[in-house]
Amino acid sequence: MAIDRKKVIDDMSKIEVLGAANGLIEGFNVFVTQLPTAFWNSFAERLTARSQPDILPEIEYMLTNAAQECGYHTGYGIITSEEWKAIVQPMVTCVEDVLHGAFAVFTAWGWAQTEIVELIPNERMVIRAYNYYEADGARIGKSYKMNAYMIRGVSAAFMALAYSGDYAIDGSKSRDFECEQIKGIECGDDYAEFIVRPAKGENYV
Amino acid sequence: MAEFTKNTLQITLRFDQQQKRHYLNGVQTVYHCHHYATLYTQLAIDAGETNLMAECAEDSFYAVFVAHFKQANLQDLAARIDMGCQYYAAIGLGTLALGFVGDNAAQLYSSHSHLEQGWIKKWGQYDRPVNFMGCGYVSALLAAALDQPVRSFNTFEVASIVVGDAQTIFKSFKK
Repeated sequence: MAIDRKKVIDDMSKIEVLGAANGLIEGFNVFVTQLPTAFWNSFAERLTARSQPDILPEIEYMLTNAAQECGYHTGYGIITSEEWKAIVQPMVTCVEDVLHGAFAVFTAWGWAQTEIVELIPNERMVIRAYNYYEADGARIGKSYKMNAYMIRGVSAAFMALAYSGDYAIDGSKSRDFECEQIKGIECGDDYAEFIVRPAKGENYV
Repeated sequence: MAEFTKNTLQITLRFDQQQKRHYLNGVQTVYHCHHYATLYTQLAIDAGETNLMAECAEDSFYAVFVAHFKQANLQDLAARIDMGCQYYAAIGLGTLALGFVGDNAAQLYSSHSHLEQGWIKKWGQYDRPVNFMGCGYVSALLAAALDQPVRSFNTFEVASIVVGDAQTIFKSFKK
């Protein structure tokens, strides 16, 4: 691997993003906000906790899908940005380096402290997360369910950006891969683990 | 309206190298894009949980405002509302401007909106207001600025950028 994770995280985490005079943050081809993690967590946690068991899978799918579209479009914006070209691109020698670099940025942006631990191009990717805000839903004890919908969605999206060919502005390729969470800090594990594979699941959207 | 000295919101950004988490004025924050915000909002609509989304915004921002007013020793109502408007812009939610604030009712204006301009960019206009996040923000700001408990105000939109109005108008009343 040619990517210097520490350098990418150090450099990308220093980018300070604040609203312009019109209160909007425009960058990476999207509008960006910097909201309290408590807002995102509270909506996901309260919504899933009050959902009837028969619709919970659909709610969880939609929470994941929000991140999958976000990860696909913003991820593309990141890997084509001037910041990426300056900091990460010089280290990139192959498409797998792009993925490793993307997960370093994922960490630098405070989404989750993640890294790729296994990668079979276009087939399978295993991600570990050692610290992530979505785990904060269980402050003590063990949750009855895994909560990292955002990591699931973004991880699947990054795989699509790497292996689904040219970027599709309509997002039609964003669900080419799916991601399963198999461990979670919120469930008592030491770290969270995710497996990304080509999609075969039902599409609710 | 009383005159007041304008306080410029001071922003301190910090990245915790150990935890790999971002903090804005001591509050843990995270960057997300308009795709994420609009899809969460669409989910709230589909699930019939738009009030829940507003309450989640109200809870999280109420805590932010109470802590900030205390830390900055902001006592003046106008200064508190102004700080809330500046904070709205600093975190990328758009613009928020004072119409009026009283003990029982209020009106604020937003001519730029992350959620609504993001919605239009993603899907085009919509036939009803969608800024539940903004409603919760305004309710939180009013309650905190007036030293009232959370859930003291109801806020709704009487005009909306996403339906084609020139600006969004948040109207609030005390419960």
